[in-house]
Amino acid sequence: MRLIMPTIAIGLCLLTLPVRAEEGFPKEQIAAGAELYATNCSPCHGTRMLDPEGAFNLRNFPPDQHDRFVNSVTRGKNQMPPWGDFFKPEQIEALWAYVVAGER
Amino acid sequence: MKTMTTAAAVLLLLSAGTSAQTLDDLKRDGNGGSTDNVLTYGMGYHQQRYSPLKQINKQTIKRLVPVWNLSLDNNWGEQAQPIVYNDVMYVTNAKATVAIDVGTGKQIWKQTLDWPPETPRVVCCGISNKGAAIYNGKIFRTTLDAHVIAYDAKDGKELWKAKAAEWKEGYSLTVAPLVANGVLVTGISGAEFGIRGFIDGWDAESGKHLWRRHTIPARGEKGNETWPQDTNAWEVGGGSAWITGSYDPELDLMYWGTGNAAPWASQSRPGDNLYTSSVLALRPKTGEIAWHYQFTPNDAYDYDACWELINADITVGGAKRKVIMQLNRNGFVYVIDRSNGQLISAKPFEKVTWASHIDEAGRPVETETAKKLRAGEAIEHWPSTLGGKNWPHAAYSPETGLLYANTIHNARMYRHLEIKPYVVGQRYQFVENIQIPKKPGEPYGHIDAIDPLTGQQKWRVPLTDNPIWSAMLATGGGLLFTGKETGEFIAIDAATGQQLWQFQTGSGINAMPITFTHNGQQYVSILSGIGGLWWNIARERLKDAVPQGGSVWTFALLPE
Repeated sequence: MRLIMPTIAIGLCLLTLPVRAEEGFPKEQIAAGAELYATNCSPCHGTRMLDPEGAFNLRNFPPDQHDRFVNSVTRGKNQMPPWGDFFKPEQIEALWAYVVAGER
Repeated sequence: MKTMTTAAAVLLLLSAGTSAQTLDDLKRDGNGGSTDNVLTYGMGYHQQRYSPLKQINKQTIKRLVPVWNLSLDNNWGEQAQPIVYNDVMYVTNAKATVAIDVGTGKQIWKQTLDWPPETPRVVCCGISNKGAAIYNGKIFRTTLDAHVIAYDAKDGKELWKAKAAEWKEGYSLTVAPLVANGVLVTGISGAEFGIRGFIDGWDAESGKHLWRRHTIPARGEKGNETWPQDTNAWEVGGGSAWITGSYDPELDLMYWGTGNAAPWASQSRPGDNLYTSSVLALRPKTGEIAWHYQFTPNDAYDYDACWELINADITVGGAKRKVIMQLNRNGFVYVIDRSNGQLISAKPFEKVTWASHIDEAGRPVETETAKKLRAGEAIEHWPSTLGGKNWPHAAYSPETGLLYANTIHNARMYRHLEIKPYVVGQRYQFVENIQIPKKPGEPYGHIDAIDPLTGQQKWRVPLTDNPIWSAMLATGGGLLFTGKETGEFIAIDAATGQQLWQFQTGSGINAMPITFTHNGQQYVSILSGIGGLWWNIARERLKDAVPQGGSVWTFALLPE
C-alpha cells in the first residue's frame, strides 16, 4: 500500500503534465508519426532520427517545447521549408508524438 | 569635345553589343577559340574542363593572389560554373543571377528570383544552381521552381520566362542549360519524388517549347516494355537529367546522362527500366534518340548517371576512337564510342560490392550481396548511395590522357523497405540507409588521377576529413585546381597529386573553377559558399568550423 500510493501519485502528476508523459502518446499515434517521418523527414533528419544529415538532431528536441516544434514544421526554420500546407494538424501532432516518444 | 568622346564610347559599346557570340563561338570554346571567354558548361562542349593556359604553372603558382572578391549575399550554397564573355562574368545561384566586370569585380547587374518557400521540399540535395548558358546576347538559366528564364546579357532585363513543370509534383531545376545547334536544352530534377524525367528543347529567341524527350518511354513506345505492363510504375519511375549534357557538333549529338530509377527500392518495377541510369545520345533539333546505353539496369542503388560524359578522341588498341567517358556513381569508369553507343571498356575505380564486373554485352554482373539486397536484406553497400563519385565534375587532360577527379570512399548499411503508394510531391524512396562509421584513418574520399581504360589510379591522394565536392580544372601549366568543403581553394601538381598552393576563401567550396585570360593575364575564378549534399550530411561536424555565405573569388599572378 505504501508503495502503490506514491506510484499512483506520480502517475497522476504525469497525466497532468502531458508534454512530459512520453507514455502518454497512443501507440497508433507514434506509429503514424514514424511513418510520416520515415518518408518525409528522414532524408534530412536521418533514419529513425539517427545520423541526422546536417539538420537538427531531433533526438535532442526539448520535450517541453511542443509549440516550437509545431511552429517550425508549419512555417519552416532556417533551411527547412514550411510544411504547413502539406501536413494536416493531426499529422504534425503524430510527428510530435514520434519525436518525443518514438525513439527515446 | 566631351560629347564627341561620349559618342565614340557609345558607338564602341554598340559595336560590342552587336558582336554577341554565335554558334561558331560556342563550338570553338575550349577548342581553339578565344581564351578570353568561357562560354560553355565544362569549358567546351566536350566538357573536358581543360585549358591550355600555362602562365600560371608549377613555377609561378607561388605568386597567385586574389584580384577581387564579390559577395553573392546567399547562404544556400554556391555550385555554379561562371560564364565569361566580353569581359563580363555571369554567375548564378538558387536566388539570383549576377553580371560582374571581370577586371574589377564590380557588380554590373543582378536579377533576384522569388520561388515559393515550400519549393525546397522537393529538392533533395542542395538549394543550388549549376550555372548559366549564353547565346546571341542572352543569358539563360533554370529556377528551383522549374522555370527557364532568358535575360538580356547587357542589362539583365527579363526577355522571357517559361514553365517547364510543376514543382508541387516534385519537379525542380538546378541544371545549367545547354545551347546546341541553336536549340536551348534543359533537363529536370526530382527522381527522389517519383517524377517521370525528361529533357526539353526551347527556342532560344522566344522561349517557345520545341520538344520534350521523356527519359521513360510511354506505353507503346520502344523501351516501355522494360517496365511492368500491369502497373503505372513507369509514370513515377524517376530518370531525372540534372547535369548539362555534352555535345559533339560534328556528329550533332548531345549526350545526356539520366538519373536513378524511382523509388530507390526496386520491388515495384521489375525489368531494366529504360532509360533510367543511362546515357541518351540525342539530336538537338528534335530530341530524337540516336542511341542509348544503360549503365545500371533496374537500378536499386540510387546510381544516377547524370554527370559529365566527357568527349575525347583517344587511342584504343592502336586506333583513334571518338569516345565519351564517365566515372559513374556505381563505381565503374565507362568508355563508350560516342558515334554508336558501343561499350569500349568499363572498369572499377572504387570499391564495388554490388557487381563483380561488366560483361561482354555491357551488362553488370550482380554479386551475392546485390541478390541479398533484392531479397530484402540489409547489405554493406559500396559505393554507397553517395556514389564512387558524385556530381563534382572530373577534368580530362588531352596531354596526359588521364581523368582527374574527386572520388568518394564510403559504405552504408542499405536496405529496401516496403513500398507505399505514390503521393504527389512526396519522397518516393523507401530505403533504410545508415552510415557505417569510418575506421580511424580511413579516407572519406580521394583526389584521383585515373586511366579511363583501366580504372587504375596513376596517383591518389587520400582525404581524411571530408570528400571534395568541387569540380576539377586541369591546365596546360601542369596544374589542377579544386576547392575543399573547409574553404581552401587549392592547386595541385597534376603529375604527382602534391598540393602546391592554397587560399582560404571564407566559406566551403562546392563549385566549379574556371580559367581564362583578361588583358593577356591568366585568371582563375571559383565560387565559395558551403551548401549541397555534403553540407546536409556533415553540418553537425562542420558548422562550427565553416561559415556560410556565397562569394566569387578571382585570382591572377602578382607581377614579379
